[in-house]
This record gives sequence, structure tokens and C-alpha cells, in this order.
Amino acid sequence: MSQVFHDIEKKIITSLKDNPKQTPETLEKNTKLSPDQIRRGIEWLKLKDLAIVNESKTSIFSLDKNGIESFQKGLPERRLLNLLKDGPRKLSDLQKELGPVFGSAIGLSRKNNWVDASSDQILLKNFPLELPGEKTIKQIGNNKLPQDKIDKNDLLELLKRPDFIIENVIKTKEISLTNSAKSIKLSESSGAIDVEAKVLEVFVARTHPLKDTIDEIREIFVTLGFSEINGNMIQSSFWNFDALFTPQDHPARELQDTFYLDGISAKKIATPEQIRKVSESHKKNWRYHWDINEARKMVLRTHTTCVTIKHLAENKSDEARVFSLGRVFRNEKVSYKHLVEFNQIEGVVVGKDANLRNLMGIQREFYKRIGITKIKFWPTFFPYTEPSLQTMVYNERLGKWVELFGMGVFRPEVTKPLGITKPVLAWGGGIERIAMLKYGLDDVREFYNNNLSWLRSARKCQ
Amino acid sequence: MPVVELSHIHLQKLVGKVTKKQISDSLPFLGLDIESENKDLIRVEYSPNRPDYSTDFGIALGLQGLLQIKTGAIKLNIKKSKKYVISVKSEVSKIRPFVTGIVATNGKIDDKTIKQFMTLQEDLHFGIGRKRKKSSIGIHDLDKIIFPLVYKTTNRSFKFIPLNSKKELSISEILKNTDVGKDYGSILGNSSQVPIILDANQKTVSFPPIINAAVTTVTTRTKNLFVEVTGINKEDAEDMLSVVATILQSAGFTLESVQISGAKNSSPKLEQKKMSVSPSLINQTLGLNLNNSKIISSLKKSRIDALTKGKNIICTIPAYRFDIFGPMDLVEEVALGYGIQNLEPTLSPSQTLGQKHPISISLQSLSSIMTGLGYMEALNSSLTSKRILYDNAQRDSSKIISVLDSKSLEHTILRDSLLPGLIDSLAKNIHESYPQKLFEIGTIFNKTNYVTEETHLCAVSSHKDANFSEIKSVLQSVIQSIFGKTGETRTTTYPTFEKGHVANITVNGKIIGIIGEISQSTKNNFKLRESIVSFEVKLPD
Repeated sequence: MSQVFHDIEKKIITSLKDNPKQTPETLEKNTKLSPDQIRRGIEWLKLKDLAIVNESKTSIFSLDKNGIESFQKGLPERRLLNLLKDGPRKLSDLQKELGPVFGSAIGLSRKNNWVDASSDQILLKNFPLELPGEKTIKQIGNNKLPQDKIDKNDLLELLKRPDFIIENVIKTKEISLTNSAKSIKLSESSGAIDVEAKVLEVFVARTHPLKDTIDEIREIFVTLGFSEINGNMIQSSFWNFDALFTPQDHPARELQDTFYLDGISAKKIATPEQIRKVSESHKKNWRYHWDINEARKMVLRTHTTCVTIKHLAENKSDEARVFSLGRVFRNEKVSYKHLVEFNQIEGVVVGKDANLRNLMGIQREFYKRIGITKIKFWPTFFPYTEPSLQTMVYNERLGKWVELFGMGVFRPEVTKPLGITKPVLAWGGGIERIAMLKYGLDDVREFYNNNLSWLRSARKCQ
Repeated sequence: MPVVELSHIHLQKLVGKVTKKQISDSLPFLGLDIESENKDLIRVEYSPNRPDYSTDFGIALGLQGLLQIKTGAIKLNIKKSKKYVISVKSEVSKIRPFVTGIVATNGKIDDKTIKQFMTLQEDLHFGIGRKRKKSSIGIHDLDKIIFPLVYKTTNRSFKFIPLNSKKELSISEILKNTDVGKDYGSILGNSSQVPIILDANQKTVSFPPIINAAVTTVTTRTKNLFVEVTGINKEDAEDMLSVVATILQSAGFTLESVQISGAKNSSPKLEQKKMSVSPSLINQTLGLNLNNSKIISSLKKSRIDALTKGKNIICTIPAYRFDIFGPMDLVEEVALGYGIQNLEPTLSPSQTLGQKHPISISLQSLSSIMTGLGYMEALNSSLTSKRILYDNAQRDSSKIISVLDSKSLEHTILRDSLLPGLIDSLAKNIHESYPQKLFEIGTIFNKTNYVTEETHLCAVSSHKDANFSEIKSVLQSVIQSIFGKTGETRTTTYPTFEKGHVANITVNGKIIGIIGEISQSTKNNFKLRESIVSFEVKLPD
């Protein structure tokens, strides 16, 4: 046998070879190990089938308050019999002398026919040398005795009576070596360590899995020739809605879908020309009274498109590929598939030859790079793009097609008022959805729970 | 997005000679997402800009085109009639100026059809009607009405028996006590006069935009219908009417005209629109090279008529397609008719070089520095609760930034610090092994005159022996990485932290953050036991 043992194990084995059956306490004394070391050592040896642990229970008996009184003065019935030894006595006198124990004494004595209590005068009929229970009280005395040292039947008499006996159940462990352990020669073991032993767990500190997906997507966009643009999360309704041809009376703008900031309005929202042209486009196409105060209301952006459109309106490039990435907000009930706040990626291509098939081509390439190859395109509707499509992606785990990114060509009603003259292809969608596919999650909330057991175990490299 | 339930058998009957599979395969290419499907029923999601798709009659028209069973524009055949007249009193101009309508006769209505008409009505109210504010619709049993009708106003004590009621209610009672009254009453404002449509016997037909009279209720026994639309804008009201007229015609009704006059009102024409589109815009936008006849046949599949005129294609668009604003909408109709599945994706070479935003680059480096120091990255929402951000962390809430009417109690205010969120994360992990070290890089919001956004870094370390020196060592190393120099810590007070164990962090003489040991009372509030140390700094812009 070429087993490697820990020092603790060696000490326990040695001690048990000298003294084959021991309790943890005696082992502690004999090996000078701490209780915790003994506990661990026994556990290891048990796992290796080298030690046997026998657990047993014993009852220890001692006298309770009535028992102690009887030990000192005799059982109540013994005291009664002693008082009657010299002739009959009056019941009331006996009552006075014996006090509270009189009741039980007279009751037991009558029942066992030791006395005659038919009249006021109590007579002795029998005087037994040993009453039931007397033996046990004598045996236990001031000590604690295990069951096997006491007459079982006599003990039972006392256990029936209140507050005579205290029973303590004690669990004991007895450790012994198995046969294979007995043959171990510890002197033979080398200085090697136990390479199979379990060790303390340490956890990797890592970037957040969702951040990894975001970074990966950012990297893909850059390699596809896109430059990143940034913008605020708080935006005026003008850029979040009006500039994107969403009429002010549109249900999507209502409180129930959008987070408006309480009591905060923008002073300067856009250039006078931008405001004039956007409002004209609204009045002409949607036929309603456009109100600048509505456009001043501050919202938590509902999409990153507001960042994109502002950038395009400021730069008016004839040729551009830009993307923006960040958190967006929706006033929804939180559930396994909806968050009030999630990340969105959005890309745009500006160019005189930009067309829908290019847009589909970029999608296909993007999905290929994040490892999704089974895709198809379906028509859909967005207020600010025309034509509009959505990508459907085959989810192998769910066995069905799920909707991913939306895309389209910015409507002339959006681009013209802002002075953007070349076609703009735009697409985007939620990043959490992609990350859910990647990490096999069914509940999107997991990304924001900061659950350490998941963060510590989620695969980093995949 | 709204959902409509369709029966395969009914749809097949309406469309013509098609298989179930052809229908299921084609629906997505009309822009209808199949939500679920079984042997008999399909549930599809449709876009709110196409209310005609809220009924199987409308969807059948679309499928007929795509499957080339019937193509080209749907024409409304409206029989000229002089029997049906509505006169409008000028007093309505102040409250709801326009009314329009149509009559539909000799049709059959079953329970399913009634249900679909109701959905159609609701969609029209919600979308183009802007929750009945712009325009609203009422569908009535024609045979219960005696023409001519009058559209006028009345006062709020006027009484009639409204739909779903057994007894007479006054206008005020309807507005106060019925669901529709409570939902839409605000459209009428405080005006003492409200719109009403009465028939020749002075019987109430409708109280727009709130509710119809009970007497005109449409049932499965109804054969002839009267449809009225009222609104603040004539075009919108007629757009709405055109959708209903188209659906009723497809459902087998004969349409008859209603004559309307008075106070700037006139009879609806429901005419087709003409719009021109250039083939080059179509081909340029789609990346195709289609000849005019292919373009025209594609448009016809989308149920739009078209013909070549000079360099352009002139399209004839039915009135119910008010979602078509201009040429770009026609480009989409060509794409749908051509078939999205027939568009081959192409990758055009990039003319530009990509780059990350400099801030993204520096934040990515900071993340790797923090993980290098043994800290796990956490993410919390920007929207949080007062309980976490202010009450539990015992922070000053005088600059609280609230959002209006949040549906989630846990997300009602914007965070102005990352620390409370991270302490809360520790509180969610008390059963995990220690030490626990977390960091977050995120946006916080500051209220001054306005709201500004800053990026912060926050780190927390929690274990039995966590102390100020430990976190200060980490801070020093982080500050060195960000600023190229060490910062200073100067004693201060801050309610989240333990008195005498907290300091301001200063770099270049400016306070950029806070560092210290979290106080016992803060830990109690979050039900945490182990020691916690933390710092939070504002990152350079």
C-alpha cells in the first residue's frame, strides 16, 4: 500500500493501533490534536474506508428533587410505615407530621395493603423490609449511573412517579480501524503529499458576462468598419420622439411606456431650424397641433436611435458607418423577459448607394461573427424606417425562430427635416437577448441580480 | 403589438384555393408574426399601422395578393343612395366638428364577426383615433334607426339608454359611472355641451366619442349596418371610415352612401389616392434592378394598382391604406410584393475604418484593472428605489430624481451613487462564501439646475477582517492607474460610513470620491453582518 497520509491521519492511526476502540475525546487526549483536527481526520479516514465510526446511545440516570428527598429521609410511604410501627395513629396527626407527601404515602400504602385506613385511626398491617424503589434510590444516591448498573424493574417504579429520576441520553462515538487500516505500516510512507486531496476553493474575479457580450459586439462593429458614438441616457422628447417622426399624440409616448423625469424640462433642445422643420413635417403628415413644450419634456431614452439621429443631424456626412451602444429604458412590468432598463446596440450606414440588401448583408455578417448562422428576414413595422425588416434567428434550445434585431431605411420624413440627404440604413436591438442565447439563460433578470454563485461559475471563454 | 386569432378554415374560405401551409408560410411576409398555431387556429401579431389586419377579412385580402389569387387595388363599390342623410348643426364645431358615415346592407354576422368588428373598432380608436380623441367610430343596427339623422350638441342632463345598460342615464351619469365614460370623458373637457347623434324620432343613436345607444346594438340577427365616425379632423375620420367600409365589403355587405351636410361637413368620397414613384428610387433603395413590369406586378401583389407614365410609375392607392405617406412607403410595398425572401443579402465593402470611443477604451482598461485586483464586476440598474439609495444607505435625499408613474416599485428614482446598489448586491449574497469583492462602473445622475450624467467607479470588499487600510491600498493602486499619481484621503463624515473611518478622496486638490468602512447601522439596514469597506470615485470625463 503506497498511500499518502496527512499528519493528522498518521497520529490517529497510530493511536488506534495502540488502543483499538476510542472516543473522539480519548483520541484528543492521546494524540494532542484539537477537536476540529480529530473531526477532520476521522472524516478523511472514513472516506478512505480506513476507519469505522460506531455511534451509540446510553441513558444516564440521576435523582431528581423528590428522589433526593427520599434518599435523605426515606420514601414518603416508608416514613408513614415508620410512624405506625409503635401502634395506630390518628389520621390528622399523620397528616401534620408528613406534610405534603402524606397523600401519596397513604395512597400507596393502602393500595399495597400495608395499612388499614378504614377509620380515623390508621393501623399498620404489613411492614416490608424493602419497598419498591428503595433499592434504586440507594444505588444512585448522589451519583449518575448508566442503565446497566441499575435494577431495571425497580427503576421503572420510580420513573412512573413525578420528579424522582432524571434521564439523560448521551450519544457516544467509538472509532476503530478497519482491517485494511490495521495492516498499514506508516513508517513506509514517503514524504509525498496527497495530490488528490480536496483544497480550499478560490474564485476568479472577472468582468461581468453581459459586459463581455457588449465588448464582443463592440469589437465586431469596429472590425466591420464602424465607429462608436456616445450620448446621454437622459434626452429631450424632441430627439427621442419628434425627430424620429413619432407624433406627440402617439400612444408610445405616453407615461405608461416611457419614463418621464418629474419636473425637469430641457431649455435648449435643438437649433431653431431643426425645430421648425421637424414640427412642419409633423403638422403636414400627422395633422395635429405640434407643441414645443411636449418636445421639451425629458425622458430616459427609449432607444439609442436618439443618439444616432442627433449625430447624423449634427454631422450630415455623405458617407458614414457609426454605432452606439448603451442602456435604454421602458416603463414595463419587470418579468423573466422584460426589464425596465436594458442595453441596446444600434448601427447606421450612410451612403449614396446604401440599400436594403446591404443592410441584410451586414446583419448576416454580424450574426455569423457572434456564432449565429441560421437567420431569415421578415417584414415588420417601425415608425421611423421604411422599408422595415426584422431578423429571425433560430434558437436551437427552444427549437423555434425568435425575433432579434430590427432594421430599416430611415424615412424621408425623418431625414429630410434634419438636412440628411443620403439614404441611412439603421438596425439595432437588445443585447441581453443575444447574451441570453450565449449563456443559455431563460430569465433576463439574472444579468442584474449580481448572484455570486452564477458570476463565479459562468463560463468566461466560450 | 396587438394579436388577432384566425381560423384556418375560415381564412381558406375567404382567400380561395390555398392550402393551410401556404397560408402559414405567407403570413410572416405580410408583416404578420405568427405567435402560435395549431390544427385549427393561428394567432398572429399585426402592426398598429395596419388596422385592416385586425380581421380575417383584411388579412385575406393581403394573402390573395401575395399568393396571386386576386391582385391589384380593392375598389369600394358604393351604391348612391338618397335615403340616408345626416345634417350637422354648427354648434358641434367647437367640440367635435366632423361626422361621416356609411351604410352596409344584406350581410351576415356571426359571433366571431362581431368580435372581430369590435377589435377592429378598438384598434382604430387606439391608433389613428388616438384613443378616440382624433376620431371615433360607432357601428349600429340600421333597422333600428329612422333617417334623417342630426349631429348636434346637447347638455349634460340629457338622458338616454346607453349600450350595456337597462335604464336611462344622463350624460353626466355616463361620464361619471361607466368605464368608457371614465376612460374617455376627458376628451370632452369641461364643455357644458356635448356631441350627440339623434334620429328622426329624436331617439339617441350615439353619444360620440363615448358610447352608442342600447337600441342600435348589433347582434347576430342584424343584417344591415349603419357606421358613423366623428372627429376633430375630416381626413382622419374618413380614413377611419374607409377601413371599416373595406372590411364590410369584403365581409359580403353591400355599401350604400350617406349624405352629410352642414357646418363644413360633406359626404365622404373614400377615393383612391394617386402617388408617383420613380423606379430608380425603388431599385436604389432595395439594391435591385427591376424593370417596370416587375415593379408593377409586385405592387399589384401588395394590392396597389400601378402603371408606367413617362419615367415614373403612377400608383393608385385605396383609401384604407392611409399608412402610405409617400414614395418610400411604395418602395416597401414593392419589396413585400417582390418577396423579402427573394432579396439576397450582399456585403458591400466598407469605405470607413472603425474605432471604439476613447471612453469605452479607458473603461475597458479600468475593468481589467479591477478584476486584476481581485474584484468581481457587478451590474445594477440606474433606476432604483428610495429604500436602497437613501433610506438604507442613510444618504441625503434632497436631490432625488424621480420618474413619473413607474410600473415597478423597485425602479422609481435615478441613482446618484453606485455604492448603495453594491451594498444591496452584498446583501443578496450573504449565503455565498467570503471574501466578497465587487466593483461596478456605471452612470450616475446629478441634479443641479438640470440633470447631468457622470461615470463612477465603486468597489466594495466584505469579509471578517475588512478594514480601511485594505481598501485604501486598492484605491491607491486604482488612482495611480487612472491619474498617474496617488491621491490623498482626508477625514470627513458621511452617514453611510462609520464615524472616524471615512475620508474624502482628493486628486489634484479636487474631491473626486469617498472611501471608508460601512457603518454598523447601514449594515443593519441591509441585514449584513460581515465588515464592509468601500470607495466610490468619479471618473474623468
